[in-house]
Amino acid sequence: MPSSSAGIVLDPTSSLAHDLTSSGPDVGTLAGKVIGFRIDMLWRSWDWVTDIWAEELRSAGAEVRFWRSMARTGEEGDRMRAELDAFLNSIDVAVVGLANCGSCTSWTIHDALSAAERGLPTIAVATAHFEDLAHNLARRGGRSGLRLHLLPYPLDILAKDQVHDIARRQYRSFLRSLGVHDRLAELPAV
Amino acid sequence: MTDWLSSRRYKTSLDVVEFTLFAESLGWGDGLPLVPPTEERVQEYVVAGRRFPDEVIAILPPLRSEATAEKIAINAAMAGAPCEAMPLIYAAISAMAEPCFDLAGLNATTGSVVPAVIVNGQQRHDLRIPFGAGLMGGADGYAPAIGRAIRLVMRNIAGQHVGTTSKSVYGNPSRVAGLVVGEWEERSPWAPLAARRGVTGNAVTVYGAMGSMNVCDVVADSADALLDVIGASLAYPGANGFLPSTAFSEALVFINPVWADMIGRTYPNIQDVQQRLWEQASLPVDSFRPEYREPLTKLGHTTPDDRIHLCPTPNDILVAVAGGEGGLHGHLIHSWGTCLSVTSAVLHE
Repeated sequence: MPSSSAGIVLDPTSSLAHDLTSSGPDVGTLAGKVIGFRIDMLWRSWDWVTDIWAEELRSAGAEVRFWRSMARTGEEGDRMRAELDAFLNSIDVAVVGLANCGSCTSWTIHDALSAAERGLPTIAVATAHFEDLAHNLARRGGRSGLRLHLLPYPLDILAKDQVHDIARRQYRSFLRSLGVHDRLAELPAV
Repeated sequence: MTDWLSSRRYKTSLDVVEFTLFAESLGWGDGLPLVPPTEERVQEYVVAGRRFPDEVIAILPPLRSEATAEKIAINAAMAGAPCEAMPLIYAAISAMAEPCFDLAGLNATTGSVVPAVIVNGQQRHDLRIPFGAGLMGGADGYAPAIGRAIRLVMRNIAGQHVGTTSKSVYGNPSRVAGLVVGEWEERSPWAPLAARRGVTGNAVTVYGAMGSMNVCDVVADSADALLDVIGASLAYPGANGFLPSTAFSEALVFINPVWADMIGRTYPNIQDVQQRLWEQASLPVDSFRPEYREPLTKLGHTTPDDRIHLCPTPNDILVAVAGGEGGLHGHLIHSWGTCLSVTSAVLHE
């Protein structure tokens, strides 16, 4: 028979005390803004999506810059930290992806939080399978309100023209997620 | 005494079975029985660790929470680790939080990785950390309890939970009781692993360990033959270091003491061992399909002899002597992502 003696035990868990539920500032109008895409060394599909979105953003009068995240440890990691810092200093809006695996979701949210903490309008981009992880990491990073745009999953096994079609179809919803105030973003859905 | 511990208190049964049910209901457990972390018990762990309870040992992702000496002690108590292991546990957790270890990625990844802890120094004997027969699992000693303490820290402090913050597709058997092993320094013809990495005496080296694999050889009668079979065995196409998205990787090789004797006679300098292993741990570039070859070439992984090496340099292959005196087998552990191993001193005084 087990003993039923009661006593006091201590909580082994830790929790983060603060949380920002705000999604941060909207982009507003696109014309004249510098939009920064954070891409990576993992997902060619994300390169293809950002190619399309960059083309559209340029048509709307924005300037587009890219920064590719490589290895995040060792000497290359040191270089990446410096490059990310310089990149975030050079843009008005941060579009950070792609959260399409466990570790890349972690780094996507990490970099998005870095951008958001500077006050930049920021959006992280994830595929649907990693939505929960992205939200969890944002909340645990102290910003549950971080904007998140979802792409379908699986994405990386699709052909380039299929991914381009997805990017074109999602461009308007991407603008709305980002808080863009222009005719295309605010056009009623048909 | 009780006021130096600041954690929230719960009144509950102290019976192990009943407490385990209680802890599981709060998400604290790993499915194995848990020792109730009473104030008196936790105090013993804090005292043994020689740290103030509120001292922050590390900030651990994904929760980015403060792993204080007290919180780590509570988890060590629940795991049933010996109090005397607290300095080792603190050192291992602190090492895992170094940026180059990439714990943020490691704890979230789809990969099947767990931080392994390789132990050097007198503490191997004091804490009964296995370095001989059966060291990877099954040997007597406290390694599973120490490893479990570290795993509970990852769960309860770092916030690593399968399905929410960890996307590991398969997990890893060592995600329950960790992987804590010693090096058989007394049987090694080379300096201890930690000493070669700049830390003498009691030390831990943490390493991002994917699943372990065995190498068996019953024919080799020379150092070169053994190193060739070990090195070639490291090089399989799906290994972390051959991924077109991995900029670099490490590899960990355990050599049993019988093989170490033979290899050490031919190669008294460990760098020569690493060089031979590195040369063999490679694949011809033509063995990769074009869609793999192109990104690997872009990363600069192809050497002038048209081979792609698992690791960028011979120094990235970590070698340790451990295992039973039955010989015949070596043990290999591939690394994960661009996680770089970290060696830290363990301060017992």
